[in-house]
Amino acid sequence: MAYYALKRLGAVFLILIIMSLVIFLSTHALPKNTAAMILGHYSTAETQAALEHKLGLDQPLRIQYLRWASGVLHGDLGDSLVMNRPVAPILWRALANSAVLAGAAMVMVSIVGLSLGVIAAVWRGHSTDHAIAIFTYLGLAVPEFYWGLVLILIFSTTFHLLPSSGSGSVSMGFGRYSSHLVLPVITLTFSLLAHVSRLTRSSMLEALDTNYVRAARARGLPERQVILRHALRNALMPAITVLAQNFGFLIGGIVAVETVFAYPGLGQLLVYALQRLDLPVMQAAVLMMTATFCITNLAADLLYGWINPRIRYGGGVD
Amino acid sequence: MNSAAPLLDVGNLTVRYASEGESFTALHDVSFTLQPGRALGIVGESGSGKSSIVGAILGILGPAAQMQGNVHFENRDLATLTPKSRRAVLGKRIGSVFQDPFTSLNPALRVGRQIAEPMIWHLGLSKAEAMNRARSLLGDMGIQEPVAVANAFPHQLSGGMKQRVLIAAAMACEPTLLILDEPTTALDVTVESQILDLLEALRQSTQISLLFISHNLRVVKRVCDDVAVMYAGQIVEMGAAEYVLGAPSHPYTKGLLASLPILQAGSRGLRLPSISGHIPQPSRPELGCVFASRCPFSEPACNASPQNLTTPPGSHQIRCWKALSVGSWPAQVAVSTVAPKFRRGDALVNATDLRKSYKAFGGWAGWRRLLPSLQNARSANSTPVAVDTVSLSLSPGEVLGLVGESGCGKSSLGRLILQLLRQDSGSVEYDGANLGALSSKALQNFRREAQIVFQNVGSALNPRHSIGEALERPLVLFDLVPASQRIRRVEDLLSMVQLPLSYRTRFPHQLSGGERQRVAIARALATNPRFIVCDEPVSALDVSVQAAIVNLLADLRDEFGLAYLFISHDLAVVAQISDRIAVMYRGRICETGPTAEILERPQHPYTQRLLASAMYENPKQADRVDGQTVGTAHS
Repeated sequence: MAYYALKRLGAVFLILIIMSLVIFLSTHALPKNTAAMILGHYSTAETQAALEHKLGLDQPLRIQYLRWASGVLHGDLGDSLVMNRPVAPILWRALANSAVLAGAAMVMVSIVGLSLGVIAAVWRGHSTDHAIAIFTYLGLAVPEFYWGLVLILIFSTTFHLLPSSGSGSVSMGFGRYSSHLVLPVITLTFSLLAHVSRLTRSSMLEALDTNYVRAARARGLPERQVILRHALRNALMPAITVLAQNFGFLIGGIVAVETVFAYPGLGQLLVYALQRLDLPVMQAAVLMMTATFCITNLAADLLYGWINPRIRYGGGVD
Repeated sequence: MNSAAPLLDVGNLTVRYASEGESFTALHDVSFTLQPGRALGIVGESGSGKSSIVGAILGILGPAAQMQGNVHFENRDLATLTPKSRRAVLGKRIGSVFQDPFTSLNPALRVGRQIAEPMIWHLGLSKAEAMNRARSLLGDMGIQEPVAVANAFPHQLSGGMKQRVLIAAAMACEPTLLILDEPTTALDVTVESQILDLLEALRQSTQISLLFISHNLRVVKRVCDDVAVMYAGQIVEMGAAEYVLGAPSHPYTKGLLASLPILQAGSRGLRLPSISGHIPQPSRPELGCVFASRCPFSEPACNASPQNLTTPPGSHQIRCWKALSVGSWPAQVAVSTVAPKFRRGDALVNATDLRKSYKAFGGWAGWRRLLPSLQNARSANSTPVAVDTVSLSLSPGEVLGLVGESGCGKSSLGRLILQLLRQDSGSVEYDGANLGALSSKALQNFRREAQIVFQNVGSALNPRHSIGEALERPLVLFDLVPASQRIRRVEDLLSMVQLPLSYRTRFPHQLSGGERQRVAIARALATNPRFIVCDEPVSALDVSVQAAIVNLLADLRDEFGLAYLFISHDLAVVAQISDRIAVMYRGRICETGPTAEILERPQHPYTQRLLASAMYENPKQADRVDGQTVGTAHS
């Protein structure tokens, strides 16, 4: 297990190094001169040269990369061109906001998704099963920003129950703070529900059809015990892996939801930086998303190994 | 059976499965009783309905099943109980053990917990008490280290240990009835023998009643007092085991017993007795005897009226109107063949020092070797040697039996010889040429001449190819027959394996197991091979079908001069067809010799053990139906 974890950790580092190269090179492979793009139509050759010097763009690419990479390793992500401030604090704040949003959505998806999956499996073929399928597929088939807008329209514009944009701060009190999270969390949950609940349903059906579940029933155990302890325990393994992978997606892929709700997270920061060609912020944000994605996937694999005794304890004792 | 109040009384049980307008009768009017402390065996081949009896008693038939009749257990009708009160009986009064120990334990729960669970629910024990009792139960089941086993997860245990655990879980609440559904079918003979010993000991010490379901007549005979023989959803013969299996009256029971391979060297000129055809689907008991189509004694009167279970004077229950007048089952058939003389040195196949190990970590194994500090106890032995320095040779037209228990490496060896697997070291010569050194074109010729027949008849045929397409593939791939003559050749192949020509357009799922194995054999024959590896070709088949397939393989061997490497775990089957036998144990061949010699004078301790276990299954020649041609008994 330790060997396995170490191996996977090595792979994550490798991926991060490769990704940092890709990110770095892609921002430097822009069609026009970077400085000219940033300065716009009214720049002159002198102002461009000055900016290039300031950004280090006049150095060879190799040096530029090493300098950037060593900065990243030391926690220095450079300065934002637009906000004229170091990137790191901005990024950490955005990451923290996104993590709160993603974490809350994760909890919701786990609870609701797993329950719906189990209920659908137990009531397989009944109208409950079909209703759950239709409900979850609606969340999957229609893009999340649409449901975001619908929710804003209902709960904010019409009934004025919940705020439609921004994030509160903890100093405002838990109630006010969390009220900002409700609509984005619901939107995110809805978009991920189908994935988790369908997977839970199918692995649950598989588990309910096994010999050990038949054996548990033949021992006269209550149906609840059979479903929750014998079947669900085994059905959870694939579901948990998918959930953990979703966490990576949540941190990296919530650009649309953060934009709709004007939520100051990583996604919104990235959009902001892209619109203003703020290269250091762009690079840092993308690298951060990659890192989060890799680490959550690693966590998912380790979690799987930990809950699956066959991986945890290795071979047999014949 | 005496007339005290029976523990289990099944009356007029009929089970139908209805799906999409079609209805299929799995059980037809089945009645039997089980007295306290007795053991009743229910024997029958696949499709006979024996497992539906278990399903009906336990109430796990599934929603598609319609059930009529009653199942009285301890004076309650299980069929009418609510799910809740049924659960109060299951596990507490009735313990059950199912066929496959490998999948019947929850892989995510520790073994001890699974045994303790029913005691917590049914007996109201605390968790600690229940765990304590679970450990002592494991001790009762003959497990040496009950504490370690209770803490283990199922995948850490061997098949025999798993079955002991399952029996412990079934016995946890001290039930009065133990239902065993094919409890030893998935186990090796040596392990099977130990489990049967355990069951016998349990019967002695607890007075528990057994309902023992099996296809294996010898196992049933060893464990049970009474036997019911099932065929096509009906009980065809029932009574005391010594009479039913010792002096059977129903033609089907006679046929079944006659089909059992006996533990003696077969002769090239003899064919095993067998039952032709297969169980009718759907069976129509209202139209007369369900066995008539396969019965050598049948006459028009058999189909005139439904057959009833009657008890002729001085006999037991039999469902055959002429039971008392039928003779013995047609004995072994002698065919005329010239047994070839094998000369050492003219080997067709010559394997030398073959070695193969499977790497548990694939491509990372090399990395691990570089980092010895990361090795733990497990990775040190994670590259088990499947085949360890094995040499063997096979003459043209010779049948070499390869016998050994599961996991001994016999299938790997078969695949190495066919070069479907690459050996780590060693070499395989075919017809004097080293296969490792051959060009791919020359290897192609070897592939044509050397074929394989697999054990699993369910997955060896592509379900989307009709039988005709399956048989045509090798013809096309090796460009053996011009397109215009392919259908003709496919029909030839079908007749070689004694299948009707109309099967060309059928699909595998429309065929029975035995028929599918015939198709697989026909496919192997399509390329005119000289050598076929038969990898457990009959292990998945019913006894009566087994004999027919072994006979077919023997016929084809004589007709085309084929050489077989006949792989099986079943020594008796191997002995029937093999000229020589190689015994494999833990990756090595521990003994090789002419069949008769291996059976009569085994040298290696493992061979002796294997023979002893097989002897348990095939105890005495006297067990054979009277009038059989049998050879000398072995001691």
